[in-house]
Amino acid sequence: MSGESTLPGAADNTVPWQRVHPVSPLVRGWIAVLAILYFFGQNWIENIFNAGDQSGDDGGWSFTPGLVWVIVGGIAILLLIMGAFFLSWYFTKYQVTERHVNVNSGVVFRQQRQARIDRVQAIDIVQPLLARIFGLAELKFEVADAGSTAMRLAFIKIDDAKALRNDILARAAGLKQDRAPAVDAAGSGHDGGAGRPDPVPAGTETAAPAGHPGTPEAPERVVAVVPPKRLIAATLLSPWVGFTVLAVVGGIIATIASHGEFTLLYMIPFFIGVVPALWGQFNQGYNFRAAMGADGLRLSYGLLDTRHQTVPPGRVQAVMVTQGFIWRRFGWHKVVVNVAGYGGQGEDATLRSTLLPVGTRQDVLNVLGIVLPDPGTVRPAELVDAGIAGTGSTEGFTTSPRSARWLSPFAYRRQGFAVTDTALFSRAGVLIHSLVIVAHERIQGILLTQGPLNRRLGLTGIQLCTTDGPISPRVKQMGLDAGRELFMTQADRAATARRLNDRDHWLEGEHRG
Amino acid sequence: MPQEPIDPMGLEFQRVSPSYAKVRLVGWGISALITWAVLAVPLVLMLTGVWPGYPAWLAWGLLGIAVVADLARMVVIPRQVRAIGYAERDDDLLIRTGLMFQKVLVVPYGRMQYVDVAVGPVDRALGLCKVQLHTASTTAKAEIPGLPAAEGTRLRERLSARGEARLAGL
Repeated sequence: MSGESTLPGAADNTVPWQRVHPVSPLVRGWIAVLAILYFFGQNWIENIFNAGDQSGDDGGWSFTPGLVWVIVGGIAILLLIMGAFFLSWYFTKYQVTERHVNVNSGVVFRQQRQARIDRVQAIDIVQPLLARIFGLAELKFEVADAGSTAMRLAFIKIDDAKALRNDILARAAGLKQDRAPAVDAAGSGHDGGAGRPDPVPAGTETAAPAGHPGTPEAPERVVAVVPPKRLIAATLLSPWVGFTVLAVVGGIIATIASHGEFTLLYMIPFFIGVVPALWGQFNQGYNFRAAMGADGLRLSYGLLDTRHQTVPPGRVQAVMVTQGFIWRRFGWHKVVVNVAGYGGQGEDATLRSTLLPVGTRQDVLNVLGIVLPDPGTVRPAELVDAGIAGTGSTEGFTTSPRSARWLSPFAYRRQGFAVTDTALFSRAGVLIHSLVIVAHERIQGILLTQGPLNRRLGLTGIQLCTTDGPISPRVKQMGLDAGRELFMTQADRAATARRLNDRDHWLEGEHRG
Repeated sequence: MPQEPIDPMGLEFQRVSPSYAKVRLVGWGISALITWAVLAVPLVLMLTGVWPGYPAWLAWGLLGIAVVADLARMVVIPRQVRAIGYAERDDDLLIRTGLMFQKVLVVPYGRMQYVDVAVGPVDRALGLCKVQLHTASTTAKAEIPGLPAAEGTRLRERLSARGEARLAGL
């Protein structure tokens, strides 16, 4: 993109190529191995019994030719799988150079992949239970390509994975660029209302941490933790549990009414669905911790399978704070984000996009202070409060006009937007409050729409286009003039915000311990 | 072109080639024929006596509704094509579409990842092309169909040049 000429084939050969840990194919494919062992083990036993039946009084331990073939076949298949595992391991090599991460893989169809380090969007270290037992971890490296993970190194030693992550992030942060570095570091300017010290003034060029191997992990400051008690309570207050309680009560009534013909045993399939969902919520949210380091926002969580995510500054495309009506009583919120490369669909994407599974108001403000360091207003906390719970025009929000009450009889007083110097705040929802924040410089495009109903009522809606993710930011049912004005001014803001601020190398313009 | 209520003020939209309506009509014809053929099956079965119990009003009614709806769609195609417009500004590209559901999309040049020019078989016969502007967002995929080939090439070059000048990462 900026005159890069190194092609995958022309990878830097001065840096040694490395292989992933030899056990990793087994850790990845253990289910397949178990299945085959089970299948043949079962076959073996059946054959023994069949043989016993055929030979009648022999007792059943004689080796018939059929049984020999089954054993030979089983061993052959197991050897084949082991061989394939070995080959796939042998042919998978990786290399981390100054500017790129290269991964070569494939036995028959060779694949050479190269990802630019300065384009890294996020790095995950994932440890499934089995990998944890072996002290291994998977390193995922995301670039801005909506969909699949760009690079995955599975599995390497956990210490190596951490070292590699720190190294890549340090290089991404400090790498010098061909073009002139951004002069204005506006994005790092202001405090997020979380009571943090002011960062260095814009334009102060500080030496980035050295990009040599063995970069120590940047020091971090914990901004939010989820205590297990709160997680359990939040899990128990989820709609799943409500449904379960209702279903059990219904089941008991049905059992009594039908004089025992219907029993709760019939509802086992239902529990098979619900229990893993609840368990998943607990398992994944356990020990959740969000921290701020110089290399970005760090999340770590998980009971059995653990994850450590790092999102460099400026990589969050949109943030959403939601609060359901039950959680409102406890003052809990959930925060999700759009990050390029995390994708929008599937359980994995949902999990990785969660910035805070359940947090207090202060947690939310702390986290927002990191993903949006410069809120562009002098009253960020008040603005966020108004966005989460407010109605009407407090804190500069523009809400839907009265004519929108025909379409949104309850929400029209609440749904609206507020614009600060750096970001657009859009709030919506009556039962489930939501506040979406998109920085002007992250907007990919703006769509102004008007359907026949909106036309009759003089309304219009705006959709802000960001990368794929759980959030699709929009402002519904604005007055025509307000909507058109927002569209035009926002288009100008989106175009100019980016010219002032390119944060690919975030440590060049700011240095924060 | 007519100024719709949601169109930004003081902006002149370029219209796409009127012959793009023919491309849309060919597409419309194929989909309409398939719909009619499928809906005519019960009618034919009833008339040939294979399925005499099938109610006549339903057989004729379904086909009739489909034909009327498709003809209505056909009538608005030229107007829909007239409603497609684009405008190049210094920092961004605007595209408007739609009659009933109107949309105006603005994409800053700096967010552009790459530009495509696509030519279908009917497009080629009429000397048209479609310019697609891709960003990192799947919702902000700007398409300008029905451009004369020369205008398409010019636009692609211009978008690439402007995107290059303002290109940022993500």
